[in-house]
Formats: sequence, structure tokens, C-alpha cells
Amino acid sequence: MSFGLVLQELDERARERGGGVHVATMTIVVFFEDAAIGALARDRIHTLAAKHPSRVILLDGTQSEGFHHVDGDDWIELGAKGSTAELLHGAANALRLPEAPVILLWIAPGIGDDDRFCELSRDARTVVYNSSLVDAGDAALRQLVEYVKRHPELPLADIAYLRLAPWQESVAILFDGEESCELLDLERVEIGCGSQPEGLYLLGWLASRLNWKPGSENMLTGPDGKTIAFEIRREGELRRIARIALSSARSSFVAEADPNGETINLSVTGGHAKPPRLRAINNPGVAALVERAILSSQNDRVFEASLAAAGAILAFGTASP
Amino acid sequence: MVNPLRAGLPQEGITTPCSAVFFGASGDLFKRMLLPAIYSMHLRGMLPAAFALVGFSRTAYSDDAFREYCRKQLELFSPKDKQPQGPLWEDFAKRISYVTGDFSDTQYYVALKDRLAQNDKEFGTAGNHLFYLATPPPVFPEIIKHLKEAGLDKDGGGWTRVVVEKPFGTDLESARKLQQTIEGVFPENEIYRIDHYLGKEPVQDIIALRFANTIFEPIWNRNYVQNIQITSAESLGVEERGGYYDSAGALRDMIQNHVINLLALVAMEPPVSSHADDIRNEKYKVLSAIRPPAHSDVWSLSARGQYGAGTIDGAPVIGYRQEHDVAPDSNTETFAAVKLMVESWRWAGVPFYLRSGKRLPRKVSEIAVTFKAIPHRFYGEATDRIDPNVLVIKIEPDEGISMRFEAKVPGPKEHIRSVFMDFSYGTGFGVVSPPAYERLIGDAILGDQTLFTRWDAVERAWEIVTPVLEVWQHTKDFTFPNYAAGSQGPQSAQKLFPEWRRI
Repeated sequence: MSFGLVLQELDERARERGGGVHVATMTIVVFFEDAAIGALARDRIHTLAAKHPSRVILLDGTQSEGFHHVDGDDWIELGAKGSTAELLHGAANALRLPEAPVILLWIAPGIGDDDRFCELSRDARTVVYNSSLVDAGDAALRQLVEYVKRHPELPLADIAYLRLAPWQESVAILFDGEESCELLDLERVEIGCGSQPEGLYLLGWLASRLNWKPGSENMLTGPDGKTIAFEIRREGELRRIARIALSSARSSFVAEADPNGETINLSVTGGHAKPPRLRAINNPGVAALVERAILSSQNDRVFEASLAAAGAILAFGTASP
Repeated sequence: MVNPLRAGLPQEGITTPCSAVFFGASGDLFKRMLLPAIYSMHLRGMLPAAFALVGFSRTAYSDDAFREYCRKQLELFSPKDKQPQGPLWEDFAKRISYVTGDFSDTQYYVALKDRLAQNDKEFGTAGNHLFYLATPPPVFPEIIKHLKEAGLDKDGGGWTRVVVEKPFGTDLESARKLQQTIEGVFPENEIYRIDHYLGKEPVQDIIALRFANTIFEPIWNRNYVQNIQITSAESLGVEERGGYYDSAGALRDMIQNHVINLLALVAMEPPVSSHADDIRNEKYKVLSAIRPPAHSDVWSLSARGQYGAGTIDGAPVIGYRQEHDVAPDSNTETFAAVKLMVESWRWAGVPFYLRSGKRLPRKVSEIAVTFKAIPHRFYGEATDRIDPNVLVIKIEPDEGISMRFEAKVPGPKEHIRSVFMDFSYGTGFGVVSPPAYERLIGDAILGDQTLFTRWDAVERAWEIVTPVLEVWQHTKDFTFPNYAAGSQGPQSAQKLFPEWRRI
């Protein structure tokens, strides 16, 4: 990996550019090992970098170490196939902008024993991971839970969790006002989702907010000892929540995506019946989610608690849908 | 019980239930600005789930006809990606209702009260009522009076807020009278005096620039600053607003509110917190440190102008007096410039030059802080000119910050040249900020008064400009029109301050 040549090329580009002003807000280090994922990643990082001028260092695990490509002042691609963790870390360090924060986008399925992830995440202000990058049930989330236990200081954001924002908001809306008392009497939670991590995060978020602890494989226990049955069912598109229904003895609270996935229909039936309401989902693309991770995920205690609760639920052996 | 699911949740939208009533709902402001802003908030998920919109105006509409009217206006005035269609529009439309009524007859306000009660029941708006006065200003007192008579000023189990559009009065006396009427019905914490200019992102960026950085504050004072220029220029003429503008003029229309507000933001002391009243206290303090000019000093501290025919962007344009609804012998100024002094420890001796005008070469809003010249020159060739540093906060059209400083020209000689370091929010962040009205309507529903002007600041701004207004009003300017459209403004402005930045 010859990043000396890259540095030379960057100097040449800067000279060609002349005296213009250079604006950069961060260094984005991207790691991927799959060509198709790499193509998507390039596209999305371009979108992100257009919005937040950045130096981008793409560590391409599909290209051999000798490969490098420099585009403009700030787009650098390096072959990283077979590269050691130390070499990747060295390259990222040499090519990063000295003052700007480093954001690591790890677009590979696992992190468990990957010392490349461990090395690259050392200097990052934010580490962006996606536990539902591939359709592998809860495996990636389990790895993440274990990794975070060993590295509690990891400044982590998970795309799978960030996708939940419109659903968290919708579920919260269902319990705004007088209905909030019903939260104490919930007896059942059903989640329909296309991938396991999103469903587990949504359940973990509820459990952490309401102080529910796992009691068995499909049962949670509230602070007053009441039990809450739960079910996570495979339904709808990958990486999307399709539906969540929460029931108490008196009422049923449902948030459900329309078939186009553009709106969430909110309904409350039973004792607290209300006219149906509609919320726009505004499904943000991955670039927007990464942006959200960069701007607002630091010290997100709610995320940390949701991840821990999801981990506790997983520890009871919830079966993948 | 507080909803525990809300704790720590990023604020995706506004949760406070609310019925928003728009007086003047058949008017221009509503259809062009307010309705598209509200609908965009709905599409972005920013409106509360328990929300209803009530239009109130003289034009007769049924609920259905008004919904159809709204749909058509949105088709005209909303961007392509925010057109009214599909289930989201249907969900929004069913929350729209209308009361046809005369602003001066209580019975229609009683009908409005019934409608709001119905909304509370049907949409769960919880007795929270936002009254938005989007009518011509002369109607404001009438509406306020009848809101009280119909008992709509009382909290119906929730909150009541009234949003008042600018201009707030036409002079000091009328502003005080209007204030008396409003404060007789609503307390200050329920009055939201809107100036959409303050909702613009770059105006808020001034606070971030000054107080989220350490490098500016130590030099932000009389020891380092030579002068501060605040410019709000437009290349447009009065368009369809000739009738209004001819009774207002540049001083009332821009300087008294927008430009003086910018001065307050750039000159205020650091607030103790971002709480609305902490910021508004500081803004008021700095305005109270400005001594209004004595009548006898008005001519030496101000300049006025009126545009004649000229050329804008290569196209000929008519003069002000030839505009529609403008008196052919109008004495109204379309350009105003004033020099103000902030008599405080920080700013003593630093002149603030404010100017605003129409039919100037281009649209530009900016604050330029010119720093003092170097105290002793020992470097540079004898022929070199060493200019002072200038920090420019650009508000419109290219939001950003620019800094001028001196640098050595490469080579064996010691030549010095000014260079410019430019930061543009557009390229820095590439983000399109939501329009000002979305931010301000959202803040009003949330009860955040930070970006709304408090009465003491409005009153003080009128006090500052009143001597100038009075002298100008009582003196016909026989030189009008005294600047050509597309020029830099009248000669008198150059006499007031020869170093204006070029527009």
C-alpha cells in the first residue's frame, strides 16, 4: 500500500487547483469487502460528501494492496485486500486531514474478531456500523452487543437503529397525553419487521424506556412484576419495520406502514379509541442516516440503553424470525 | 403521567396538540407563505399528530370549498416535491375547516369558538389555540378585541397564543396603541411578534459565529473594530406593494425591524443561556444603549433616497413614482441610511452604519465588521496599500462568512496584497435550510419566543428611528428621485459614509 504516492498526487492536485479555498468538515474512512456493496457505498458517500465537504478514504477490500486512485483533492481509494490492521490504520492516519474529525464507516458484515475494525475505530470520533447490512438474522447484532461489552467507549452508531426514528416517534405519539398511563398496563407487544435487528432494537428501546427486563424467551417483566408477552415476526421489506401493535386489557395501539412504505397509520381501538392518524415515514436514505449518525449519535444514551436491552433479550435466546 | 417514551428521543416533530387559526386566510400571505409552510411541516412529520387548521376570513367558503382552495394554492405555491396528493394530503385536508366572517362582528368569533371546541373533541387539540393574524395591520386591534369578547383569550384547558405579523405599528405612537390593545387581552408570553427575517438560518448563525468560537469575542469591541456596516439591499422595486410601501418607506419597512434586529444580534453581550428571555434581554440592552439622534442631527446622521428610472441586470426599469399605486409626487424614501452609536463600554466610539434600499444593483444582506488599521507599518513596498481586515457575515444571497486579510505576494519583493477567505454555508454544509416560516410557526406552537421580538425591543427600535422619521416626514425632498435604479444609492449616502462596501 503506497500512500506516499497518494500524498504526492494530492499535492499535485492542490497545486493544479491554485489558490482556491478548501473546505472540509471531516475525514470519512470507509471499509468494505464486497464489490456490490462498494459500488453502493461510493454512491452514498458521494451524496454525503457533497453535503458535508470531506476527505474520503475508501479502503477497498476487493482490490489488491497495490491499487490506488485519487479523484480531485479529497477522494482517495486504496486497495485493502489482505492488508493488515496496522497497515490500514497507518494509511488512514497518514491520509486523514490533520484537524478534521475521523468518521469510520464499516460496511462489512462482522466485527467480532476483526482486528482491522478494532484498529480503524481507535481514532474515530464516530463509528458507523450497520447490523442489518446483510440478511443474517440477529448474528451481526449479537456480535455488536458482545463487542460493545468489551469496548464500552466505542463511539458507535448503528444504521439499523437510526432507521427506527419515525417508528419511535409514532409509538411515542400513541401514548402522548392521557394514554401514557396505559404504558403501565401493556400486556403484549407484536412487531412485524423485514430484518431481525430493527425489530430487536424497537423492542429493546421499549424495554429500556419502560424498565422491562427479559423473563423468558418471549416474555418481559415490568417493574411491578407484570409480564408482557412479545413476538417479533418476519413481515414486509428487508430492513424495514412493517407494524407494531401494543395491547393492554382495555386498548390496542397499532402503528402500521402502508403498502408503499410512505406513511404510518396510527390507530387506537378499545377504551382509549381515537380517530386514525397518519404520519409520513420520510424513510431517509443511508447517506442521510450516516449524516444523522455523525451529527447526533454521540452520547446517545437512549441508543446505548436500547442496544443493551436488545442484548439482554437476545441472551434469552430469541429465535430469529 | 409524562410519556416515558419521549425521554431522550430526538425531536422528530412537534408533539404539542394545537388548533391554528389563520385570520386573513384568503389573503396573499396565507396562500403564498403560511399554507405551504404548514403543509411542508406536515409532510416532514413536524406537525403534531393532534393538529387542526382553521381559516377565518371575509370571503365565503364552505369547509369543503376552503379545502379545495387550499389544495389549489398548494399546487401553485408549493415546490414540486410537496404537492398536495395521496393519503398525506387527505389526512391534512380533513383537519382543515373554515369560518366565514366579518372581523368586526363577535358572532363569527363565537362560531370560531364552537369550531375550536369541535376540533378539540375531534382531533384532540386539547384546548391549545394559536391565532395567527395574517391580515392587513389595521385589522389587528379589531380581531384582538373580538377574541376577548368571544372569550377566546381564555385558556380553554390549554394555551392561547397570538402571532402578530410585522409591521408592528406605523410609528412609535401607533405601535404603543397597538401594544396597549394586545396587552389588554394577552400577556407578553402569549404574544409572538413575527419578523420572518429572524427565522432565516444565517441570522441565527450570527449567534453561533459569535458565541460558539473563542477567536472573535476578544476583538469584538471598540479596541479593534473601526466600524460596522449593515446592509439590506434589494434589486427589486416595490412590485405589487406600491400602496403599502408608499405609506411606509425604507426606514419603517426595513431599518426599524430587520436591520436594527441584526444590529442587536451583532452588538449584544453574550447571553447567560439560550433561553428566549436571556437572548431578548441582551438584545434590548444593546438597543437601549443607542441614543436616538437629536432632531437637529438627523441630516448629518442619515441619508434618504428615492429611485428613478434606470437599469437592473441590463434591463430598463421604471422609477418609483411611476410604479403602480404610488403617488406621482411621492416623498417616500426607497433608500435609507443611518449612523448609530451604541453607547456602551464595548462599543463607545464605534459607528454602526445601517442602510437599506430598493432597486440597488443586487440583492444583498450582510454585516461587515471593519477592524482598525495596523498601528505601525514596517513591512511592504512603499507603493503597497495595507487595507484593514474585514469580517463579512453574509446573510443573503450566499450565506457565509468572508474574511479579508493581508498577505505577502510570493517573490523577492515585499509586496502586500489583500486576500479573501470565504466560507459558504452552501458548500460547507450543502444543506437547504427550511424556510423561515416553518421554523417560526413551529416555534410558536412549541412556545419558544427566542426568534420573536419582545415589546420592549420593538418600542426601543421605534424610539431610535422616530426622530429621523419625523424630520423626513416634515421635509419634502425636492431632489427626489435622487438615485437611478441599479446605482449604489444617493450621493447623500456617500457623504454620510464614503466607505460603504459596494453593493
